[in-house]
Amino acid sequence: MSFSQRLKEDFTTTTIVLIAIAIVINMTVGQVVSMLKLPIFLDSIGTVLVGLLAGPIAGGLTGLLTNLIWGMITSPVAAAFSPVALAIGVAAGLCARYGLFKTWWLAIIAGVIITFFNAVVAVPIRLYMFGGITGSGADFMTSYMLALGKDLFGSVVVTVFTSNLIDKVATALIAWAIVKALPERTTDRMPQAKYVVSAA
Amino acid sequence: MLFIDRPGWLHKLHPFTKLVLLLLSAALAYLTGLSIGSLSLLLAACLLLIISGGIFSVSAKMVIRIFLPLILFMVPIHGLLNPANTTEIFSFHGIVFYREGLFFALKTLMQLGVVISASLAFVFTTHPADLITAVSHASGSISIGYLLGFPLLLLESMRERVVTIQNAQRARGLEIDGNIFRRFTSLGPLLFPLLIGSIVGIEQRSIALEVRGFKIHGPKTSLRLVPDSLLQKLSRRLMLTLAVILPMLHFFR
Repeated sequence: MSFSQRLKEDFTTTTIVLIAIAIVINMTVGQVVSMLKLPIFLDSIGTVLVGLLAGPIAGGLTGLLTNLIWGMITSPVAAAFSPVALAIGVAAGLCARYGLFKTWWLAIIAGVIITFFNAVVAVPIRLYMFGGITGSGADFMTSYMLALGKDLFGSVVVTVFTSNLIDKVATALIAWAIVKALPERTTDRMPQAKYVVSAA
Repeated sequence: MLFIDRPGWLHKLHPFTKLVLLLLSAALAYLTGLSIGSLSLLLAACLLLIISGGIFSVSAKMVIRIFLPLILFMVPIHGLLNPANTTEIFSFHGIVFYREGLFFALKTLMQLGVVISASLAFVFTTHPADLITAVSHASGSISIGYLLGFPLLLLESMRERVVTIQNAQRARGLEIDGNIFRRFTSLGPLLFPLLIGSIVGIEQRSIALEVRGFKIHGPKTSLRLVPDSLLQKLSRRLMLTLAVILPMLHFFR
């Protein structure tokens, strides 16, 4: 199957609506998390869900558009990190395709892999665009590592990885549980859900 | 939404023209190795753009909101701890600030200032509907316009849904206080109805779209018209060329 054919097959109307809904999920889930005062963001849960249900391209597109729309309606800084959100969606889609979302413990490993992809893209943006500092609580970590004598690159890598690990593993686990809990008539319409639900 | 509805020359420009301008200013700030002096000229040009576009007061508020935390973290962290620090500039009660780190912080803040002010010139003067129309028109696909526009329409009703679910679960005795593990376990009853409900509802929405001819090919007409001109088209080409050539000249010099 050629790439364009594959794209057409993946991007059914259902997938497009799924992406649109997932973008809104990414934007509203923060409300729940802040109410419970949890130390995570879960702001890529929709992106990971699309990765699992509709594949890496749809997942990446969800992440990219979430941050671009965020940039348009709240603060342009969010748009600068849109490549990071894209990487998260692509990583989630690829992990699902290679069977890394079949059980809960595999989903934890997938969460770690997603954190790695996240860091590969986020570190250069943080480092070259923001000089390593983004004006958030994570900067305390960066300054601590710098004070310990690490170089700027090493400090930013440690900061990005540690501040995202718990969040991305929790995101992966919740996404896995959601896909498992979906009724079959819904997952049947999703082009890639079979890689996740077939083990059940 | 950040868009401010008021007449101004920036408001009349085609969304793509403003986007290309943003791209050019980002390329100039980050990829052409400008000195602090040239960066301040670029920053002044962006300021002029914002003032002449009539969006100075809103932009100033936003710039303060974005830059205050950045400055608060950037200046001390780099001034005190940047690994390249060697030249002492001043000390305060035994805390020593260094020239290299402060210089690095200043340059980064100026680069960010250019990109953020150019982005604000775009977001404050471009109605999302104009951007969506322009993108759909240029790509010839209604899907991408739908993906950009639908989330904006749905956001409010989804937020209400979150509140409804929260109220319903608290009425059933869900605890939202207590230790962190208890709060983590409360995440499930709040998230699952929201996420599963939204995903299950997709089928209905996609059928509704298809019966309205969502996937029909061929030219589409739009109620909203985004005016464009030959001058703008030409200046977009010129700015794009500059955004590619100037960084290349810098790298191969």
